[in-house]
Amino acid sequence: MISSLFSSWLAQAAPTADELQGQVTLDSQILTEQFYFWTVVIMWLIHAGFMAYEAGAARRKNVMSTAMKNILTIAVVTPTFYYFGWYIYGCFEEGWPKDGHGSPTVEGLEVLAGFCQNTAPWAAQMGPNLQDHVSAVFFLAFLLFSWTTASIMSGALIERVRLSAYLILAVVLGSGVWIMDAAWGWSGGGWLVTRFGFHDAIASLVVHGVAGAFTLGVLLNLGPRIGKYTVDGAARTIRGHNTHLTLLGLMLIFTGFYGFYAACLVIQSTVFPGWLNIYFSPTTLGAIAFVITFGFAGGFTGGWFASKGDPFWTLSGGLAGVISVSAGADVYHPSLAYLLSISGGMLAVYAGTYIEKKLRIDDAVGAVAVHGVCGFYGVFLVGVFAGGYPTGVNNVETSFGGQLMGMLAFLPLAFIPGYVVSWILKKLNLLRVPAEVELEGLDLAEFGQDFFPEFERVPETVIEPDGREVDAAPVLLDAYWQTNGRAETPVGTGERS
Amino acid sequence: MFDAFPFDEWSEDIAEFWTFGGEGSTGTYIMTALGVAAMLISLIGFVWLEQKKLRRQTEMLRASGALERPAVVVTTTTTTIITSD
Repeated sequence: MISSLFSSWLAQAAPTADELQGQVTLDSQILTEQFYFWTVVIMWLIHAGFMAYEAGAARRKNVMSTAMKNILTIAVVTPTFYYFGWYIYGCFEEGWPKDGHGSPTVEGLEVLAGFCQNTAPWAAQMGPNLQDHVSAVFFLAFLLFSWTTASIMSGALIERVRLSAYLILAVVLGSGVWIMDAAWGWSGGGWLVTRFGFHDAIASLVVHGVAGAFTLGVLLNLGPRIGKYTVDGAARTIRGHNTHLTLLGLMLIFTGFYGFYAACLVIQSTVFPGWLNIYFSPTTLGAIAFVITFGFAGGFTGGWFASKGDPFWTLSGGLAGVISVSAGADVYHPSLAYLLSISGGMLAVYAGTYIEKKLRIDDAVGAVAVHGVCGFYGVFLVGVFAGGYPTGVNNVETSFGGQLMGMLAFLPLAFIPGYVVSWILKKLNLLRVPAEVELEGLDLAEFGQDFFPEFERVPETVIEPDGREVDAAPVLLDAYWQTNGRAETPVGTGERS
Repeated sequence: MFDAFPFDEWSEDIAEFWTFGGEGSTGTYIMTALGVAAMLISLIGFVWLEQKKLRRQTEMLRASGALERPAVVVTTTTTTIITSD
């Protein structure tokens, strides 16, 4: 059977020009399909990395509850993004859709007209479709970005947030907030792009900054871990149980970032002559690969020197460096990316220290500093170093004012929902685990077991503000009593009744 | 183009076949509604199940006296706590 098919195939007449054209188009579409598919595979590493990173940063008693947050992110964000998140992206580029399902209707971008109706869950593009090799994988790439936004928040909340509260917040952020900002400022027809030339090519702000701002809103309601601060407000250091695991997680995230970067580009050779960024402005895969690699190099350098060689902040500095140059990754020279990312790596360390010690916000992994502050910083830098660059299909010049407009739009868009939803959960007593469970550890309450049964338990320790390492138990118990057994009560202001 | 392998013809036969119907069909709407319902129920379920677990564990911990303040050595399930007034 196979050999006769093969013989028949060999015996065919030469194809016509139309047939060849059709075949080239099909090959191009399948190449695009494969490209996005493999970026999705690589981006899974980001989530494996976030899981390892956060589990390592957690104390032994909270390891599995921390890891489960990352895993269940996929369980809740995937369906919610499919049922309404993708629709938001398709339909809200111009704000409220001007032409309903016919939106967007952007001059010069007629190829996108009607994209809105293609994003509904019952649309032909959202199911098995032999005529469409692109929509499904493009959706999947965006879905992985959505998981990433939730995972960015995840680490900041560890060791005291309820798993279910985190999952609700992940849905709001991953399938609502971030994708709305992507529609506005990270699409060919986004109003911030077509009117103000907003430029955030590889998502410094639309993914990282927005996730950081949302997280800040949540942290204000969640409060610090019991014992994190002394009665005088000085910060103790609560060390994770496995820094090696944390660093491995960061390295996995970095690897996945190459997939993330690649997935931010558009390629369809029979429609466009070459690689485009998300705004349909020409670029190359090599250009952004240059910038991400130099971003890591500069970020590690900046993080190392600013933290005086702290391993955690050195690697976090790498992440911060990349985030700082992502917005302009399609236009920066590698040397510029290197210099800017050094400053980004340093900024993350200083901002993280300020948030922890001055603002007294317990962000367990520095997510607000690394993703939030550096995400906004990245967009700011484009306004300074890439002003005049013609962005998008109508070539609006990128400007500092346009970048500022994006920042002013996205800060409240992210912060307010994070604050409001977490405030509601707090009022319903569904945000934070009971103080008793927090002291004992979430793993026993959630799963009924210790996940290192073959290892002897050693006394937990904390680092006092003066640098002394002390037994954690009396410190935590004292903090528990001083907060009236309610972790949200400010330390030192109450007595147990 | 590939006469010996009628991919195009087969494609046309199955192009619009989805389980329970194609684009915009009643079956698709019903499946979407069921999926949304499952999504919402699972979210509520996550909250409900965790609430049950946390309440049980908290009551057990309070009843055990493991977190009382007196100056005694108390052993919890994860850490040894030494307290003093």
